Amino acid sequence: MRRNRKNTILAAVLLIALLLSGCRTASAGGQHRIWFVVKSTETEFWKSVFAGANAARAEYNVELVLVGPETEEDYEAQNRMIAQASEEGAEAIVFSAISYTENAAAIDAAARAGIKIVVIDSDVDSDLVDVRIGTDNIQAGRMTGAAVLDTDADTISVGIVNFALGSRNGQEREQGLREVLESDPRVQGIVTVNVAATQEAGKDGALQLLAAHPEIDTLVGLNEPLAVGTGLAVAENGLTGRVRVVGFDTNVQCVDMMREGVFSALIAQNPYAMGYLGVEYAFSLLEGKTAGSSEWVDTSTTIVTPENMFTPEGQKALFPFG
Amino acid sequence: MKRKGISISTVLMIMLVGTVVAVLLSAMLLFYGSYQRMMVQNSVTNSIRTVNQVSITVNDYLRETDKIMGIIQEALEDGEENREEFFDVFLRIRPDVIAVSTYDEAGDLLHCYSTRGEVRAALKENLSFQKDRIGEYAEGYISAPHVVTLFEGAYPWAVTIITPIEGGERERWAALDISCTNISSYINDIGIGSRGYCFLMDMAGNIVYHPQQQLLYSSLKQENTERIAELTDGSLVENNTIYAVQGLQNDRWKVVGVSFVQESISESLLEMGRILVLSGILILLAAMLVAAALSRALSRPIRELASQMEAFERNAEEFTYTPDGRAREVLVLSESFSHMVLRLQDLMERVRDEQINLRKTELKALQAQINPHFLYNTLDSISWMCEQGRNKEAVRMVNALARLFRISISRGHELIPVRSELQHAESYLQIQSYRYRNQFTYSFEADERCLDYLCNKITLQPIIENAIYHGINGLVEDGRILVTVREDGEDIVMTVEDNGSGMDAAQIEAVMNKERSDHAGIGIKNVNDRLKIYFGPAYGITIDSVPDEGTRVVIRMPKVREERENAQE
Repeated sequence: MRRNRKNTILAAVLLIALLLSGCRTASAGGQHRIWFVVKSTETEFWKSVFAGANAARAEYNVELVLVGPETEEDYEAQNRMIAQASEEGAEAIVFSAISYTENAAAIDAAARAGIKIVVIDSDVDSDLVDVRIGTDNIQAGRMTGAAVLDTDADTISVGIVNFALGSRNGQEREQGLREVLESDPRVQGIVTVNVAATQEAGKDGALQLLAAHPEIDTLVGLNEPLAVGTGLAVAENGLTGRVRVVGFDTNVQCVDMMREGVFSALIAQNPYAMGYLGVEYAFSLLEGKTAGSSEWVDTSTTIVTPENMFTPEGQKALFPFG
Repeated sequence: MKRKGISISTVLMIMLVGTVVAVLLSAMLLFYGSYQRMMVQNSVTNSIRTVNQVSITVNDYLRETDKIMGIIQEALEDGEENREEFFDVFLRIRPDVIAVSTYDEAGDLLHCYSTRGEVRAALKENLSFQKDRIGEYAEGYISAPHVVTLFEGAYPWAVTIITPIEGGERERWAALDISCTNISSYINDIGIGSRGYCFLMDMAGNIVYHPQQQLLYSSLKQENTERIAELTDGSLVENNTIYAVQGLQNDRWKVVGVSFVQESISESLLEMGRILVLSGILILLAAMLVAAALSRALSRPIRELASQMEAFERNAEEFTYTPDGRAREVLVLSESFSHMVLRLQDLMERVRDEQINLRKTELKALQAQINPHFLYNTLDSISWMCEQGRNKEAVRMVNALARLFRISISRGHELIPVRSELQHAESYLQIQSYRYRNQFTYSFEADERCLDYLCNKITLQPIIENAIYHGINGLVEDGRILVTVREDGEDIVMTVEDNGSGMDAAQIEAVMNKERSDHAGIGIKNVNDRLKIYFGPAYGITIDSVPDEGTRVVIRMPKVREERENAQE
């Protein structure tokens, strides 16, 4: 009898506890604090990333802090921002590395402090990254190569305007690009110049290349400011039609120049998706809904040419809505 | 204590809990079914209502746009003098209008009024007015969303409304590029349930405005526009998604409401389930309390009754029981048991008494028996004495015989004073000593204080008889028999000693346990049995004997002052 009553009470307590725990999971709340540390806050690419991140912020009701250094070379500023995020209680950092190697220590430290790390766009040399989201840059490089080769010309001579050697993205893009170019017998030569990631530096770099290698008939700018700079170098020097330009990333200037015949192709990444997915993955990591993975989450890449730029798909890839 | 079977309280508990669980489960299922139907219906109704509201607002907006289009048409038909001023004001009060442009018969741009910038010089592509579509424009036209390509350095998304101009000189068409900012303010904040939303699409399946348009453009989200395009006004529930569709006045657009069955309903169901589980727990607790009360009222008294019965089984004689129980059924059972116990004890006592009485009767019958051999041997001796003229001895012999029989009978009493018993023994010894021609001598040592206590009659005689037959008879030298009576605490101890041939263990065993083989008179066993029946197992006879040296028989009995026999009956 005594034992029976004990069992009864035990069962009741268990049931109530179960019920309460059910209630608790149902009403679990509190905003997650996510820091967004990227390479720049200026270019249209990153503005589009932020737009995506903000859309996800609204959808998942998280607190979002968006920061980036003034120049796309200042990895030390990024490291300081990571440390600051850690101090200010960030639960997750969505990160885009300026330097594959130099940002690694700061990210490792943050990850060891229990912060979830989501890398978008540019990878960092750390084993502690939970999720990587972005363009498959080697594949995108190959697409760029295909765009360069999409011509009737008998010979092709390519000049590449790439950004800092330390950035993994640039190197991977160039790797994929060269891979495709080198497999085509029409390609006579490939030269690369590495410059800072600004329009001016891009323009100067392109002009240097053209001066040093007058045989160049195709220029490739491997990110947004470099694409614009390269395009300007061609447009402003009356080379439109003589030197084809292929740009990686797009903005309004690129589109204008494409309409004027400067660009023969633009490789449009999906920065909005990177921003959105970055926050979405950070959120689901914090909620424990996804586990970390070493696989890249690939965001789509589109080749835009003068022919398809105003098709519905071209418009969607080129022009942010609203 | 391990028992087989299930206890009543367990059965009750299982039945109650089982019933409650079954009832709760079926109630839950029933509830779930009807609740889900109801909730889906509610959600559908809610969706339709929301979509209707949105469509009313968008219709208003479209009507307003129609009016504006009319005003613009009038302004354009008026000629070109005051246009700049008109459009300057118009574009300022309607910031959602990106550009108003006019086209000639061939579709070439004539004028463009806009605040967004200058029209670019080489206008190769104009998505606002496509020459190859001019045939579609005649009855008024609303385009799918596109970017406005009129300007340099700006590509805003817009919807173009095209209308023909009747009275213009060269101008045949007017095109109005409107951004979705106004529509977005109508649609963005519309929620259906917690995750539902509305969007605007045209009949061809192009999405005109969607709160998450950029997500759609970035391929992060898909809307099944082909399926939705097939839907007529009304609602559709498919894959836990509720679509509500409402066409708009212009017959080109429709408002689509998307909401999710799962979220709204499963949350309510979860809430309901929680309430049900809670009430289930309460009912279960109540059931357990009831079960506990029942087991207290029923099964515990029954178990107690059972243990009482076991106790009764173990020791029936000294068992006492008071009926107990709160439930009537148990009380009846308990009272019956109590009656039964009393009756059984009564019966047991009666059986025991009857057995004792039977034994006593048997004994009395035995005592009443006169050993015929002893009698005629004695009478033989007397007649022989008379013949020889030893009259004096004969008289003493007859007297002894008479005393022997008188005491033997003792008016039917079992217990007689020790004094009488000693007289009886002495009479017997007297007779036997004549008969055995003084082969033995005898003596008595009796404590005076013992003589008035009572003892069983014919206690000493069978023992003396045994001493004579088995001890003295055939002895070459003189035999001696000593009878003593003394007190020993609360007991009286009589002894009969002889110096005869003694007995070995087998003989003692035989004497103590066998009835007399001649079926006449009383044996030692009978004496012992009587002592034990009357006074209990602590009393009786013990025999010490050493072969060739003699035997000592000890008789132990309590001090008894009055006739016990009478008291017992």
